[in-house]
This record gives sequence, C-alpha cells and structure tokens, in this order.
Amino acid sequence: MAVMTNILTTDLNGLILKNPIMTASGTFGYSDEYNEFIDVAKLGAIVTKAISLNPRAGNKNIRITETKAGMINSIGLENVGIEKFLETKIPVLKENNIDFVVNIAGSTIDEYKILGKICNTNEIKAIELNVSCPNVKSGCLEFGTDENSLYELVSEVRKEYKGFLIVKLTPNVTSVEKLGMAAQNAGANAISAINTLKGTAIKINCLNGKIQKSIIQGGYSGVGIKPVAIGAVMRLYKTVDIPIIGIGGIESLSDVLEFLAAGAEAVQIGTANFTHPDITQNLVIELENYIKNNGFENLEELKKELRK
Amino acid sequence: MIKDKVKKIYKAKVKNVEKVSISAYLIKIELPQAVEVKAGQFISIYCKGLTLRRPFSVFSSKDNEIGVLFKERGEGTNYIKSLKSGDLIDIIGPLGNGFDIKNKKSLIIGAGIGAAPMAFLKSKTDELNIESLFAAGFLNKDEIPSVITPDKIYTDDGSYGESGSILNYLGVLINTYNPEIIYVCGPYIVLKTVANTALKYSVECQVAMEKVMACSIGVCRGCVIDIKKDNKVINASVCKDGPVFLGSEVVWQ
Repeated sequence: MAVMTNILTTDLNGLILKNPIMTASGTFGYSDEYNEFIDVAKLGAIVTKAISLNPRAGNKNIRITETKAGMINSIGLENVGIEKFLETKIPVLKENNIDFVVNIAGSTIDEYKILGKICNTNEIKAIELNVSCPNVKSGCLEFGTDENSLYELVSEVRKEYKGFLIVKLTPNVTSVEKLGMAAQNAGANAISAINTLKGTAIKINCLNGKIQKSIIQGGYSGVGIKPVAIGAVMRLYKTVDIPIIGIGGIESLSDVLEFLAAGAEAVQIGTANFTHPDITQNLVIELENYIKNNGFENLEELKKELRK
Repeated sequence: MIKDKVKKIYKAKVKNVEKVSISAYLIKIELPQAVEVKAGQFISIYCKGLTLRRPFSVFSSKDNEIGVLFKERGEGTNYIKSLKSGDLIDIIGPLGNGFDIKNKKSLIIGAGIGAAPMAFLKSKTDELNIESLFAAGFLNKDEIPSVITPDKIYTDDGSYGESGSILNYLGVLINTYNPEIIYVCGPYIVLKTVANTALKYSVECQVAMEKVMACSIGVCRGCVIDIKKDNKVINASVCKDGPVFLGSEVVWQ
C-alpha cells in the first residue's frame, strides 16, 4: 500500500494508509456496490465483510431491525468463503486500486490458523481478526471475551501470518484493556475497537386484541454506541502501545475528531454507510478541509493538538 | 479524477404531498435529472433522524418526476408525509431489478398499498400495447387510493366492487381471463397464495417481495430470502437480486 505522502497520510506503524477513513467490516461488502456511488480507491482502506474458511449461509429469520439511535443485526457472517473470495473479489479490489484489509472469522483456532496461512500465501497485506461476532453460536465471541483464549488465538495466527495483523475487540467485556494487552502481547500490530454491542429488540404489535411479538437479538450498532466506543478507545490508548482504529457510531467529521482525540490513529465507518452511501468519501474531503482551514500542517499535527 | 458514478444519491425537490385515501399519501418529487425507472423498482428515502432509509416502490415516473404512493406506518412515513412543497429530500435509486415485462396476456394483481407499483406496471404494459387486466384488492372502499383505477376492484367488506378478499377470486380470474403471465405485489400471504395458484394453473408468475432493508443496495445481507436455484436453496437479497422474483423459485414459509 505504498502511497505518496499527503496531509492525511496515516501511518499505523507498519501499515501506511492514504487517509484515516476506513470502512467497518460487514457494512461495505467487498466494495463493488459502493464503488457505484463513490470512488472507493480514495478511502484509507476498506475492511471486507468477514470471510470464513467455508461459505456460510448466515442466520434465518429477521436479520435487521432499527432501534433508537441505531440498528441491531443478526446476519450471522453470511459470506462466500475464503476460496471464492480470493478468486472473485480480490481481483476486483486490485483492479480498482482499492486498499483493503481482509476480515477473517473462524470457529476454532485451527480455522483461524488456516485462514491466516492462506492470507499469508496470497500476500494479503493486512487482516483483521473478528474475534467478537455476537451472532454466531459457537466460536468467535468466546475468543474475544477471554484474555487467555485471545492471547492463544492471536499467537497462533501470528505464527502463520506475517503481514499487518489487526485484532477487533468486543465491548461486551468488563475490561477491554486486558483484551487489548493480550492482543498486543500476542503480536498484534493494531487494535480496532469496538465491535457491536450485544443487544435485543422486542417489537410488539397488537392486532385485533392479539399481541404479536418479534424478538431480535444481535449486534447493536450506530450512533447510540459512540460513547461506549470512545470510552473504550480512550482506555485502550492509555494501556497499549500499538495503534488503535476507532469504530462506533461515527457519522460526522466531529465524530472523527473525537475519536482521534481519544487516541485513535484511524477510524472505521460502519452503520452510517447504510444511511449515507457517500459518507466515507465526504469525510475524507471534510477532514482535509478542516486541517487546511485551521492552519494545521497535516493530520499528525492535528492529532497532537487534539490529544493535548 | 472522480469517475462519473452510475448510481446517484439525489437531493430531490418535493413537488407536493397529497392524501389519496384514508391511510395513503402520494408524494411527487423532482430529480435534478431525468431517470428511467422500471415498474417494480424502488427508491430509498433518507428520513431525518432515522438510521435506516425507507424503501418505496415507484408509483409513477416521467422525465425527472417520480411519484411514490405510501401508507402511513411509523416514524419514516410520518416524516415523508410531513414534507412540504419545495423541501429537499435525499433519495437513492432507482434500485432493484423491477418486473421483467413479457409480451404476454397479463394479469396484474395488487393488494393494499401493493397496488401502487402494479398501477405503474399497468401503465407500462399499456404503453407496450400488451393486453392486461389490473385487479386490485383492498380492505374497504376508504382504502382505495383515488389515483389508482384498476380494471377490477375487490373489497374485503364488500363496500366497493366485488365482495371479499381478492384471493377468493383467483381461480375465477384465471379461468375467465386466461392470462399467460401473472404479476403480483401485496402482503406476504397474497404473494404466496397467488404464486401457488399460478403454479397450480401452470401460469408464469412474478412476485414483488418486501423486507426490511438496511443498505438497500445488496451489501448488508439483511433482507435475504430463500430461493430455489438449480435444486439448491440459496440466499437472495430482496434489494438487489429482487425485489421481483419468479413465484416458482421463492421458498415460501
């Protein structure tokens, strides 16, 4: 991902991005659809929808519902599987000059190891470990909520994968810092935080005196989780030495600035892509203008000022 | 250089919002440019303060003007209803596949607010000089939008047209009209019953499905349904692969 230095250049200590605006896994597909609205190549990087070893059909029943200040999803990691991903999606990303991070999800350590190895063989420059999907019954949430399991998992993947390794943390723990330390000690290059909050919505309808109820449990995302995310990033920033990528409810330039102030080196935009398909491209432009208009030299200087 | 992108997010201008039945409204919006819309395609409207856009099938389209007929259901439709002439509205679209119009004698069925895209389809078949019959069912007389003029109307309570659910008349309709193809939009039970009846009579059938959507462009996989393809059941997204499917390929619940 060699890029010419510009005022938004973001160095994640080993991974250089043209700007700090990324997309969050699961909200941007593999970029094809959004490339019809914006120039995805202008973004810092996209993080692909989670890829598993084998194709996954995902969950049945209701998969999404809107809540106040966000939404709950229970997609269940539907994806084409690593083989088809490499064959059909990677060439499109490369052809369009899109910088990307491959998000991988497994249900056993072995699966993660194989995925890591495949990514290594295929010279994938950066991967993000999904260790915290709340919608899959057995598997990844366990790794994400226990520091010893997480340490073991990341260590094992580290052995197989030599590129830039990001670990995506769940907020559904008592101390996100301990998980962050475990990831760092196991050899992660960066942390992304946070994944969705575990949430439940109950929709009640009364039709002719009969109560109709639908319950959806899944991951809560959107503007409502921003305070949780900022808190997690701040605590991680004080604890770990590796770069942090902030995620959670970002939908405006001021949100981006707040995450940078909290200690994030880059950010991922998630749910807001659904509301405004062009938001990422707009944020890149707005951030650049903010830096120029306020007389800062570059993003690095802005970050320093924001963290004083 | 930013390429000229195929899909657009439009800031459209509201022309007017008009109440057209006891529960339905027609909003007409003007886009900055002319667009071509197929019957059965939809637009996705950003509703201030809400996370998810709301998808609406298109009721009418001419040059740069799009009409959407909608029923007041909740926060999203309440917002759209409150818009005034001259207000700006943020839309993406047209989205989805739309009906695959065949040059065959057509029975066009709409139920409730599902009659909206079917009125649009009827106008398209008329333009193409395809023989068609537009039959629509409503709960009662007050629910019939004033801007819709089906060839046949059914009301559940018998307050207008034929009495009883349109579903009770499917066999008669097919036997008397002898359609070569049926197109349908409406509540799930209507789609399912029409699709199964069409299958029974060996008539081709296209159904316009509905599901809550997040992205509305095929990314999030939130609106998938089960589809039979080559003897396998696969996921298809209502927003991108649909909303129109063959009645025979949908795995009905």
